[in-house]
Amino acid sequence: MVLVLVLALGDLHIPHRAPDLPAKFKSMLVPGKIQHIICTGNLCIKDVHDYLKIVCPDMHIIRGEYDEETRYPEIKTLTIGQFKIGVCHGHQIIPWGDLDSLAMLRRQLDVDILVTGHTHQFTAYKHEGGVVINPGSATGAYSSIAYDVNPSFVLMDIDGLRVVVYVYELIDGEVKVDKIDFKKTTAVTHSAY
Amino acid sequence: MMKRVPDWLNSSIWSSTPPPDNDRLNRYASKSTSTIAATAETTSSTSKSTATSAVESAIEPPVPVPPPIVVIQEPPKPEIRDPLSNNENGSSASSSAEEISRQAQFLQELSKKVINMGELRRLSSQGIPDGAGIRSTVWKLLLGYLPIDRGLWSSELAKKRSQYKQFKEELLMNPSEITRRLDQPVSFENEKSKSDCSGLLSRLEITHGEHPLSLGETSIWNQFFQDTEIIEQIDRDVKRTHPDMNFFSADAQFAKSNQEALKNILIVFAKLNPGIRYVQGMNEILAPLFYIFKNDPNEDYTAFAEADTFFCFVELLSGFRDHFCQQLDNSVVGIRSTITKLSLLLKEHDEELWRHLEVTTKVNPQFYAFRWITLLLTQEFNFADSLLIWDTLLSDPEGPQETLLRICCAMLIIVRRRLLAGDFTSNLKLLQNYPPTNISHLLYVANKLRTQPAHQIF
Repeated sequence: MVLVLVLALGDLHIPHRAPDLPAKFKSMLVPGKIQHIICTGNLCIKDVHDYLKIVCPDMHIIRGEYDEETRYPEIKTLTIGQFKIGVCHGHQIIPWGDLDSLAMLRRQLDVDILVTGHTHQFTAYKHEGGVVINPGSATGAYSSIAYDVNPSFVLMDIDGLRVVVYVYELIDGEVKVDKIDFKKTTAVTHSAY
Repeated sequence: MMKRVPDWLNSSIWSSTPPPDNDRLNRYASKSTSTIAATAETTSSTSKSTATSAVESAIEPPVPVPPPIVVIQEPPKPEIRDPLSNNENGSSASSSAEEISRQAQFLQELSKKVINMGELRRLSSQGIPDGAGIRSTVWKLLLGYLPIDRGLWSSELAKKRSQYKQFKEELLMNPSEITRRLDQPVSFENEKSKSDCSGLLSRLEITHGEHPLSLGETSIWNQFFQDTEIIEQIDRDVKRTHPDMNFFSADAQFAKSNQEALKNILIVFAKLNPGIRYVQGMNEILAPLFYIFKNDPNEDYTAFAEADTFFCFVELLSGFRDHFCQQLDNSVVGIRSTITKLSLLLKEHDEELWRHLEVTTKVNPQFYAFRWITLLLTQEFNFADSLLIWDTLLSDPEGPQETLLRICCAMLIIVRRRLLAGDFTSNLKLLQNYPPTNISHLLYVANKLRTQPAHQIF
């Protein structure tokens, strides 16, 4: 079985609200381990794009409202293994961070996993056979609705019909890792990857 | 006072019919005398120009057996499109009869209830016939994989093969699967609260701090990523193994699965031996073993060739492991020390040559002997010839390392005239591209270098 690791992160707001990723995160993000990167948006500058490119060349980036690169799409869907994944920054979904509204988007895109950001808070909801994940802010940047933000990102280990979501959070200077197990019920009829 | 050329090298046996007791010598001596006289120099160049057509055609490298006997009784199997099958040369009826009788001797020995290893070794030292899967079985016996009691064969084989299967399952699993198996009992409970309801997904603690980005030394993930480098190296080397042989390099399913098997063996070995891991060159030592076992006419042996090869590889390498460990290079058991032994052996038997090589022309034996010794001469001769050399290596009671050194020494002595006439550049070039040689003769010379007479050992 081939290893498929997908990094999901976003809302870094470099350089406006944060200078860089936390050092402990950077030391873990070694090139060669990760197969795909999903970015919810608000990097905001090209340097961050280049850095992430080194970590993994296969990137899927969505446009956040502060991104300086205007050509990222607003919504994207992709298939990795048996999972259909949808990505959107989230400032378009009102109320911000509301499960029902996000669930509507998930149904609309017909994806198993919807990854959004904007709230700078890690959340993971399950909804009707799918999952809605928010990886939070990888730099712990403040948002318009939260000041005290712990840096966080998410790493998904996709293995057949099962995904293990590892949540990395920097709390009081230490990296804490949790995981979430999710298994989908039906297989995709064809795999686009 | 410099020692002269050893007397036996100048003895009269080279120009007259030898005593009939040594089979190999017999075969060698039936060549024309002009060839024999020029033996001390390059055997191939002179032998190619001899008038005798039978002998001339017999020297061609693809022929696996000693030159005068060129007919292999059994038709080549269709899968072997390799050196062992190019036997189109004709020969006299008597040589094929001899070949049949040798095969019969082997088969008789192998069919005994308890194999007489001494007798088997004696037979093998003169070369193992290519047909009937004899070499495959004999090598397994010589390497101690098969016990001498035939009755135990099936149980031993079953045990070892299942052990290998277990190794593969445990070691070739990626960490994702490992964590899934560890978590199996926990996840079943979660399944009950089914996906119909919405709500926050529960966060679980990770076991033993294991996560994919872990940098911990003991983390299975970290070890997995570190192993990836080695696995890539193994992959590269396996793809480069014997590019001229269809068995390994053809653009076909069977060749790919052969390469897959080589990779699996090397990966399992590397993981089971963290001290030595994988070193470039191990693939070359592995290749002949796998080739022989996989081409066994016995279907059972072919099916489990990978498992059998693994254990035989471990056994074969056990005597030479220290050569692959860089930290042991300068130690008493390391490669430098072995090369020094070769040097001393040469000095003992042919001081004139030794002096010329190491002192006058300053050809440091490390320049040529390193590859000879670490790769067990697989790179110096064609595939078929190296199988014959391995027959002797594996069967000699003195052990593979001692035998290897004697063969290397013989290799030097055989080309002594060219070496004595050459300077640093030409000598180095000659030794790094060793000319094709009559293997029988080479092994005969190596035999003569024994400190004890051969008949006392067997």
